[in-house]
Amino acid sequence: MSLFAALGASASALDAERSRLEVAVSNIANAESTRGPDGQPYRRRDVLLAPNSIESFDAALGNVGAVGVKVVNIVEDQSSFRKRYEPSHPDADGEGFVSMPNVDVPEEMVDMVGAARAYQANIAAINVIRDTFARSLELGK
Amino acid sequence: MNSISDSAIIAALGRQLNRTVARQQVAASNLANIDTPGYRAQDVRFAETLDATLQTTGVGGDVPIVTETSGAAVRRDGNSVQVDREMLNLTRAAGDFSAAQTALAAKFRLVRYAINEGR
Repeated sequence: MSLFAALGASASALDAERSRLEVAVSNIANAESTRGPDGQPYRRRDVLLAPNSIESFDAALGNVGAVGVKVVNIVEDQSSFRKRYEPSHPDADGEGFVSMPNVDVPEEMVDMVGAARAYQANIAAINVIRDTFARSLELGK
Repeated sequence: MNSISDSAIIAALGRQLNRTVARQQVAASNLANIDTPGYRAQDVRFAETLDATLQTTGVGGDVPIVTETSGAAVRRDGNSVQVDREMLNLTRAAGDFSAAQTALAAKFRLVRYAINEGR
């Protein structure tokens, strides 16, 4: 058990939450992108998170190890595209429908706020751990 | 009254520091995994450890037991972390660390006082 491992766990969470923010922002930015590199509309992306034990000497000895988090993968949402009737659109099909990305903006906003709050909580944790660390250094005074 | 040796007190305070650090580590781990699907909040327990240590004479055996938090509501994604609870645990552990650190610093000051012949 060490304060460094605890800091590592919180830092890994900052990384993961930032990824979630990035992905949510990309989804919102591309909510109207009808033509990607493959000619298909943009597909909504999602971040997969998994627990990740912080490697430390203590963990190797079988003591309590801090559990961080890691981004396992960023996957595309395979749900169907939204259809919008817009015959004048260059990407419209024969019946005048345009396939729009499967992005739901309110849903992304909710995700984004969730990620921002989780980021905040981990910053708060880092501050508490940092204060504890500073406190332990005072023992040597 | 039993006389408690100085080194026993210092060792006990040192263990208390370790315990509070372990509690902070578990709280930080839980906060880190606040959005990980299927993650169950963890808890550190020391009561059983204390019993075991008291029965077996000696200083060792101060290994914290980490278990799943019992009775915590599980969200739909299988995660049972609650931010307020973890922040409370973290703050409480930091406060306990401060208390033990203050006591330990006072102890060290006394030793230094003796070494310096009261100067």
